[in-house]
Amino acid sequence: MLKNAFLTLLSLAIAVVGGGGSVWYALKLQDGVGAIRIGQWTAFPDIGTPTADPYSKARVAREGVLALGQAEGLSFIAERDSGGEQLKRQCAYKIAGGFPTARFWTLYAADRSLGVIETGKPRLAALQSYQVLREADNSVIISVGSRPAPDNWLLTSGAGGMYFVLTFYDTPIASSTGLSDVTLPQIQKVGCNA
Amino acid sequence: MRSLLHAVLLGLLGGGIVHIIVLLLVPEFSERDAWSRLAMASDLYKMTRLDAEAGGAPVVKSVDPLFYAAACRFDLAEGMVRVKAPGKVPFWSISVYDRGGHNIYSFNDRSATAGVLDTVVLTPAQMIEVRKNLPAELQGAIFVEAPIAEGMFVIRSFVPDDSWKPIVSRFLEQSSCELQDF
Repeated sequence: MLKNAFLTLLSLAIAVVGGGGSVWYALKLQDGVGAIRIGQWTAFPDIGTPTADPYSKARVAREGVLALGQAEGLSFIAERDSGGEQLKRQCAYKIAGGFPTARFWTLYAADRSLGVIETGKPRLAALQSYQVLREADNSVIISVGSRPAPDNWLLTSGAGGMYFVLTFYDTPIASSTGLSDVTLPQIQKVGCNA
Repeated sequence: MRSLLHAVLLGLLGGGIVHIIVLLLVPEFSERDAWSRLAMASDLYKMTRLDAEAGGAPVVKSVDPLFYAAACRFDLAEGMVRVKAPGKVPFWSISVYDRGGHNIYSFNDRSATAGVLDTVVLTPAQMIEVRKNLPAELQGAIFVEAPIAEGMFVIRSFVPDDSWKPIVSRFLEQSSCELQDF
């Protein structure tokens, strides 16, 4: 009798803890269901639309996100550099390459909640395409770090994990047909302040 | 031993069922979704700034730092809602969301007549009524048909650099979101 009760309780405990925990874990992952990966960049083109998968819908409801519409733009998030290592705020990076067609784009360094990181200075940890200098082939090279750099400099500061958020506004790639042959810039690590 | 294995397997199966149920119930019961956050910040038909610039923590997060944004909640059951904002800014875009935060419709300044923000959100039934006799002051407006009752409206506007901050702020502060009589 006692054994039966114990087994029943064990089943219920596994069901509730396992089921609830797996949902929590699936929603925590940055790179969840419905993601499109291009190099180190991840986007959720369907997030916030009525056709989104249940995981995206749950994420929208839990985090209170108001996702960009297709006529507005598309955001890509990078969590790792091209060597596969987690991005860190104490490291310097070089973001280089061509950017897909868009009216303009913005790039910012974000913390875990995807808000822009606090630099403690008047300069924001953000850049936009109207203010960058371009190479002869129209590609852009951006230096990321806490030390000022010539040409395009994205200021970061502090220590800990970091994300890059690259958003294209009024762009044909936001309608999913354009996404297949898009290339995005590479993120190379330059060095770290130990 | 057999019965222990049996219990664990049954637990895993139940875990799968619980996973699906919890996942589908999260949107229903979330008190942290965008609508609830906006409802705590302001009333229906009131434009609320979403960026931190207006003071205090941002109401809805993950707004681009180079953007200012404002939102208002509306209820189409009470009538159609008209949103207007005067002035020229480098870029603005509009999204209409339903109660659950799903993006129903979006457009940007290139879609508007002369880049002026003037739009009306209404249900298909209200659209039929409006089509019968279009008032003169609505002739330049963009009509968005949304088969919803409660919803949200977000204006996002690009701030290329500091010199644009007062202009974009004024653009959003002068924007209006009001119940339109018809």
